[in-house]
Amino acid sequence: MKNNIIILGGGQAGIYAAREIRQNDSESNIKILGEENLLPYERPPLSKDFLLDKKNEEDLYFHSSEVLKNENIEFENILINKVDFENKKLFAKNDDVYSYDSLLISTGSENKKLSLDDNLKNDVYYLRNLEEAKKIKEIVSNKNKITIIGGGFIGLEIASSLCQLQKKVTVIEIGNQLMGRIIPKQIADLVQNAHIEHGNEIILNKQIEKITKKNGIYEILLNDNSLIETNFIIAGIGSTPSVKLFENTNLKLDNGIVTNQFCETSIKDVYAAGDVSNFYHPLYERNMRLESYQHAQNHGICAGKNIAGVKTEYSSIPWMWSDQFNLNLQLTGICDDYDEIIERGNDINNGLIYFFLKKNKIRGACGVGIIGKVGRDIRITSKLTEKDTIVDKQILSDQNLKLNKLIQK
Amino acid sequence: MSEENWIEVGSIDSIEEEDLIRFDHQDKTFCVYKLTDGFYATDGICTHEAVHLEDGLVMDDEIECPMHQGIFNIKSGEALSPPACEDLKTYPVKVDNDKIFIKID
Ligand SMILES: Cc1cc2nc3c(=O)[nH]c(=O)nc-3n(C[C@H](O)[C@H](O)[C@H](O)COP(=O)(O)OP(=O)(O)OC[C@H]3O[C@@H](n4cnc5c(N)ncnc54)[C@H](O)[C@@H]3O)c2cc1C
Ligand code: FES
Repeated sequence: MKNNIIILGGGQAGIYAAREIRQNDSESNIKILGEENLLPYERPPLSKDFLLDKKNEEDLYFHSSEVLKNENIEFENILINKVDFENKKLFAKNDDVYSYDSLLISTGSENKKLSLDDNLKNDVYYLRNLEEAKKIKEIVSNKNKITIIGGGFIGLEIASSLCQLQKKVTVIEIGNQLMGRIIPKQIADLVQNAHIEHGNEIILNKQIEKITKKNGIYEILLNDNSLIETNFIIAGIGSTPSVKLFENTNLKLDNGIVTNQFCETSIKDVYAAGDVSNFYHPLYERNMRLESYQHAQNHGICAGKNIAGVKTEYSSIPWMWSDQFNLNLQLTGICDDYDEIIERGNDINNGLIYFFLKKNKIRGACGVGIIGKVGRDIRITSKLTEKDTIVDKQILSDQNLKLNKLIQK
Repeated sequence: MSEENWIEVGSIDSIEEEDLIRFDHQDKTFCVYKLTDGFYATDGICTHEAVHLEDGLVMDDEIECPMHQGIFNIKSGEALSPPACEDLKTYPVKVDNDKIFIKID
């Protein structure tokens, strides 16, 4: 049957869903509606290789317009600002109306903003999209002292990139460690040391009292009365799912759009995937929301299958990475529900990993090391988690014993 | 086929099954694999970013990059999973007198 399928949000989950639908359904109309006037692109390089000029805009696109054309997937640059789920319609500002039979919502997430005086609203920059990355790149080219507010992944990646561009960078973090409590403190401290060794200043446990601007220079007053002078401010203080559009509808929301393991929302024929969805994970038997590259891809693919009528459960083990300087940090599974922690390795050159276990099975792991050193073990860990295996703790804790021994059993 | 292009990598015992070793020759670096049906060779560096695949995971006929989990088919070099999208170069391999050789062009 020929359906009108609309994908709201032209990011990573959206494009993977579109192509998966086409693989299973050659007839239906597939249209992606995207607010950004760009074909879907990868965001991870924005804070890393794009800032460092190692990748340019063309390198970021997932697929060329030819691929979309060949697969008969339409992309329209439009901002949707109203939905009517009852009549299956979406509305744009210019009164254009889009009718759908099935809808995928993949609107991603948006950056939290600092509450600032009106006269400073345009002075603090954020990084979510290519346009912002270009702007940051252009401005930093003639600034020297840069302050990053927020010591999360994105803030630290920007700090690493700008340091490599010879900028004097200060990171201010409100918590007592970098990257939130989800990352084991020992790992956060190693990453912090790397920043300090490269010349970045890291300030923990401090809150911003006030920002003032004088002659193009900003003064940031902290709650211990210390003052930081800076030429440019970037904030990375977390993000929230992009759901404003649905707030006054009957779509079930709770930290994003609530979906089941088939990417279905509370409304029939409406699906959600990627950063915006708070999905049920059958292995962990709970809902979770992830902001990660691998998840956006796999969740998009799974939504695409379900929309095309191929009922498919989503049970991928979460995985994400962050690259800072010559370090690669990886997280798999969930690291906040455990009764035992096992450490493997103890130095950054060979990589070290913390495994989080519950009832002798791995629930998640977090590792960091010089590039390349933790990936294989983290990947094996994902497989062990997926298989719900009871693990030999001796092998887990001894870096001289190969982890794939555990898989083959 | 000129003889000189076959470069000796090492003995067939130097690689465990379903595993790989790194092999450097002049200014190039390679990965040489032992799969259930024989030996294979590819470029050593991932086509996505400059990370060596020697620390990657070999599963069946695939090598998975340790950095961002890009996956390549070891026999054909085909990039199978993003963020890797460019294929990996492969090289012919032969075994002679229990020694592995790869043919570098
Ligand atoms: C700077 C940065 C670095 C990152 N680095 C990493 C990393 O190293 N590793 C990792 O695993 N993950 C990383 N991520 C996370 C990863 O990129 C995201 O999880 C992923 O892009 C989410 O995909 P998505 O499709 O859900 O949303 P997005 O890719 O964000 O796409 C959503 C799209 O929907 C559009 N949209 C929203 N509302 C509307 C509307 N009303 N009408 C029309 N269009 C709309 C948005 O403009 C956007 O284009 C990073 C993210 C950022 C921003
Ligand atoms: S470096 Fe290999 S997938 Fe990114």
